[in-house]
Amino acid sequence: MRRALVIQLARLGDLVQTIPAITALNESHADWEIDLLCPAQLAELGRLLPGVSDVVSWDGAAWHRRAARAEAEVRPEHIAEAETELRAMTDTLYDQAFVLNQHPRAIMAGALLARENIGAITGGPLDQTLSPWAMYVRNVATGKQDNRIHLADAFCGMCGMSPPKRTISIQVPETTLPTDLDPIGQSDGPWIAVLIGAGDPERLVPIAAWERMITECLEGLPASRIVLVGDQHEQERAQCIQESLPPSLLGRVWDTAGRLSLIQLAGLLTRCRIVIGADTGPLHLAAAVGTRVIGWYFARARVHDTGPYGSNHWVWQVERGERERMAVIQPSRWPIAETVALLRGHSPVTVTEWSLWESHRDHWGAYYAEAGHEPVEPIQRAQVWRQLQPSSVS
Amino acid sequence: MASSREGAPSATHGGHWIHSAYDPRKEAGSWAEQQISEWKIGELGVVLGVGLLYHVEALVRIKPPESRLAVVVPDVSVLKDALGARPLESWIDEIQWITGTPSEVAEQLASQSAPLRFFTYGAAARLHAEAHQQLETSLRRIIARKAGGQLHVAVVGPIYGGSLPIARYVVRALGELGHRVTWIDHSVHHASYEAFGSFREERYRLTVQSRFADVLSFSTIAKIAEDPPDLVLAIAQAPLTLAVLQHLRKKKFTTAMWFVENYRHLTYWQQLAGGYDYWFVIQQAACIEALKRAGATQVQYLPMAADPAVHHPVTLTAEEQQDYGADVSFVGAGYDNRRSLLPRWLSKEWTFKLWGNEWDGATDLSCILQRHGARIDTDTCVKVFNATAVNLNLHSASGTGLDAHPDFVNPRTLELAACGAFQLVDERTLLPALFSSDEMVCFRSADEVPSLIRTWLKDPHGRCAHAEAARRRVLREHTYRHRMQDLLAAVGMQQPDRIGSILRGERSATELQRRTDTAPELAPLLSRFPSGQRVELKDLAADIRARAPGRELSREELLVLMLDSYRAETRDLV
Repeated sequence: MRRALVIQLARLGDLVQTIPAITALNESHADWEIDLLCPAQLAELGRLLPGVSDVVSWDGAAWHRRAARAEAEVRPEHIAEAETELRAMTDTLYDQAFVLNQHPRAIMAGALLARENIGAITGGPLDQTLSPWAMYVRNVATGKQDNRIHLADAFCGMCGMSPPKRTISIQVPETTLPTDLDPIGQSDGPWIAVLIGAGDPERLVPIAAWERMITECLEGLPASRIVLVGDQHEQERAQCIQESLPPSLLGRVWDTAGRLSLIQLAGLLTRCRIVIGADTGPLHLAAAVGTRVIGWYFARARVHDTGPYGSNHWVWQVERGERERMAVIQPSRWPIAETVALLRGHSPVTVTEWSLWESHRDHWGAYYAEAGHEPVEPIQRAQVWRQLQPSSVS
Repeated sequence: MASSREGAPSATHGGHWIHSAYDPRKEAGSWAEQQISEWKIGELGVVLGVGLLYHVEALVRIKPPESRLAVVVPDVSVLKDALGARPLESWIDEIQWITGTPSEVAEQLASQSAPLRFFTYGAAARLHAEAHQQLETSLRRIIARKAGGQLHVAVVGPIYGGSLPIARYVVRALGELGHRVTWIDHSVHHASYEAFGSFREERYRLTVQSRFADVLSFSTIAKIAEDPPDLVLAIAQAPLTLAVLQHLRKKKFTTAMWFVENYRHLTYWQQLAGGYDYWFVIQQAACIEALKRAGATQVQYLPMAADPAVHHPVTLTAEEQQDYGADVSFVGAGYDNRRSLLPRWLSKEWTFKLWGNEWDGATDLSCILQRHGARIDTDTCVKVFNATAVNLNLHSASGTGLDAHPDFVNPRTLELAACGAFQLVDERTLLPALFSSDEMVCFRSADEVPSLIRTWLKDPHGRCAHAEAARRRVLREHTYRHRMQDLLAAVGMQQPDRIGSILRGERSATELQRRTDTAPELAPLLSRFPSGQRVELKDLAADIRARAPGRELSREELLVLMLDSYRAETRDLV
């Protein structure tokens, strides 16, 4: 049996968006054993990714410590120690590594753990030549190129695969939440999760905007419940939001910020009918566990690059001019009433500064079409696939 | 001796407890826990402060079995007291006791093969602060003499001012000592800084100049990022902000400041005290205490020096002697006390020339002011010093008399001495440690000066003897090379595993190859470097990258590159 290693050392959102590539590899190579190399703090979740045989966790903090020691004084034992750690990850080299990050450490990890590497670069580990798909992703990220290929599908391309025939959701095992949070999702709703934070400060939705959104939502949907989701750094934001809400609504707001493990978070997201938030890891996780998502995409986030993967998700995209392709766009207003209208089942409406997009999937992977319009597959996707990966067309 | 609440013996000195009044063992245990994380394998731990040895016992109990510990005993009677008060247990056998005068102790410590890691138990060490200070100075000198490794030092200079030439001398001295120097010269921005000073409104001027200094501070970071040094050495007035210093610390850069200023006059050190890892100052006790109170952790005395390549005897032509010479000269700016005192030292008995700028309005000195009070360059200074029979050296002060706090010794004292020029200098408390009375003539009051001038003008042989002796002393002990050796040795003593290790030459290819038993595959990588050359992780990685095209990398090379990618990220300043 051939052993392959998918290397994804970036953050939660990227890890979740690696699922289509793993699925595509499994569809094409049913007899392969496909393992995943991911950051140690995401390993627990990595084990839930469909199609992954085993997870090899990468302890970046340990490498940082080792590098600091080696910098202070390079000693042969530092090299020996690093080698011992790599041997502990795998006794024998993988036959192939699929390197999905352009960072030197991911490329170096591929060279150290597998006999053959494809993905980010075309040559040896010090070769600066990016593979066609990696170059495409970089051009999109640096604003040099208009894009209609989803990042998750570009990952498939980097693995030499076409997008998978089907999407597979993460099956979250039964998890227990803290006792006081256990009623979430267990009674009539709808239960709506609001992702109050963002790893990147420029992607933070202001507290006042969340406060208004939650108030209008609870008032417009009398049976609804709101679940505040965030990490430990966002507990204060959660507290501020609650303090600014009318006291009569507080009984319908559940604060989970900073209290859940990744697996518990995944479990919580499955209990919610819908998840609302900016372009963040938990938003992609919500889509990956099969929950419908409404994204608010602003700052540098672009729906066609990293909209929630799959079908039936909505994204409000702040509009940007041609010259603002790479600019950090901060909206002057937020699509609050319009989001609540969507939650109430109303037809999409237009709103100044924003456009609404709905996700679809086809042979070329995921794409977003403007809501309220007939979904027309963007034709440039086929052109890009033909150009970058002729085999995918045949 | 006194009993603690818990019952164990404790001790006081001068009304202060040397060990806890409640539980000496517990307190010593906490102290030892704080120290142990710094103690690297292979280092000899050296305890300063004897007390009743609770802290020593605590260190012995938690130290790794292979680590050795020594205790410096400045006064054997204190040790006898301790051993009499405390039960003798087996941990005592693990201690190496080091006794003798400070210089004998320094010799014993320097002869140890292991790097030294000092642990100061403050409450007990305070009793012998002077002995410890002498020990440190002696040890620094010995280490400085032995230092053979090559450091990379980034010297950050000021935009302008009196510390600018000193920065240049420092750069030259470090280079002469064999270290690699990156000179971050902000004087190239002086014209812009001056241009920003042309705003009529002071508020605007200060704001714009302050922002400009911020930009220069950040440009320093970019320069450091391009070629990371082992040590960032700033000279007084270097435009480094506290935020930038904190950023450098976060990124694990070692920083030092040589504050060649009178701390009473220029007080910006108060804002920067906690920013630098090491402060070196030209004043002692009060200055050191003030900096420590303001947040500095390491402050040491490092007096001014001279650069013999710049300040040296010159043979003057008759014409030069005519132009620059006089019986008495003074070179310097027109500070208040100089304006007040110099007129009192004019006399028909001798010729007097006054050189320098900022003398506007000093009408009673206009007859002796040279070149209409223009600023004079260093070469001219050297000629004046050499051409003058009696050079006056009056430390600047804001009052009308001699400096009310006559402690530090100005650079002029050492520069005149390096030129082999005779001088009369106002008495300084820190001068006797630098020059003896055979080398330097001091005056204690303004009234003494005329008679001293008269005396020494009549004694050319005496002047010559003093001047030559002073010059010899400078060459022997007071050049910038000496100061840089001292400064680096002081940092090296505090960081035996980093700067100290480099200074000891332990990063050379030869030394590393000697230690490749654990990873013999590394030997081929190291063999590519000349035996004495210093080899760091980044050097190994750079060499691998340079040779990478067209060949397959070995596993060891990949591991080096992986470690280097993490190193580069940690050190990415910008």
